[in-house]
Amino acid sequence: MDKIRRRRDRLEVVYDILKIIRQHHNSIKPTPLLRYSNLSSQSFSEYLSELLEKGFVKEITDEKGKKFLTLTDKGFRYLEKYKLILGFIEEFEL
Amino acid sequence: MDYMLAHHLIDPRLVVELGYTIIVVSLCFMIFFKTREIYDLTAHKGIKYFRITFLFFGLAYFFRFLSLLFILMKITFDIYLPSHIFKIFSMAFVGYFSTMAILSLTYSTIWKKLQIKHPLLLFNAIAILISCIAFISMPHSLLILSQAVLLSFTIIMAAYRYNKSRKTSQLFILYILFFLFWIVNLFILGPKRFLPIEIQIAFQIVSIVVIRVIYHKVTKWTK
Repeated sequence: MDKIRRRRDRLEVVYDILKIIRQHHNSIKPTPLLRYSNLSSQSFSEYLSELLEKGFVKEITDEKGKKFLTLTDKGFRYLEKYKLILGFIEEFEL
Repeated sequence: MDYMLAHHLIDPRLVVELGYTIIVVSLCFMIFFKTREIYDLTAHKGIKYFRITFLFFGLAYFFRFLSLLFILMKITFDIYLPSHIFKIFSMAFVGYFSTMAILSLTYSTIWKKLQIKHPLLLFNAIAILISCIAFISMPHSLLILSQAVLLSFTIIMAAYRYNKSRKTSQLFILYILFFLFWIVNLFILGPKRFLPIEIQIAFQIVSIVVIRVIYHKVTKWTK
């Protein structure tokens, strides 16, 4: 049961992080994102690295050298498909 | 006279088999391709094994048809084919792909309970072993028996799971039917290979309905 819960949470955490970025006009600094995501800094770093590596978010630097996180097309697609993904997993008991 | 009789009896079966194979293989491959995006987005282990199940089943049905084509060519047109070629298709390829499919589908539903470090490696080893034994020892029943054992394992695992959750699953019944029809389909490659055509067609229609229901469930969530 624990493992099911962890896996579901993982998909949900990814959804929450991406949703926070979108809610902030698709541009947010890493520190407020950490705060809004309600994760430990270690977990947040792991999730962020994964999201960057898999191309769900990208880092952009403004003219003042400040770093922002923004969603890629893949990130938007995940948000759009999230409910369908959960439905699919439930339907096929995966 | 014999040739005419064989020709008369075999041709409709070939047409039925061809139609059946095209439908089943298309549905299996469509399930595989339709689930690509949600797998790319999530890298979910259950989705991974679910989708490769249908890739392997599609290939198993394709090679099953090729094996049957060899049998029918031999009977109908008296075309000689070395027995090892037939064995490669019927025992090695069909055995390998169908074993991979059964193991993948079973694992897609129990992976949370049964953590295996390298599942694909293990499944490949089992599938290669089963197809090699079937290839070397030849009795066709050995392949059917090994797949029946795998099917029993699936039923026990699923029954254990559903017994715990105290719910009956329509999906479980669909999977069991899907496997059973596959095993019935394997009989066609055996020595007593031909069921009465009416029974064979009835089985094939029901098996298409089962795969079509699975496909319909997939398309509901992969728009």
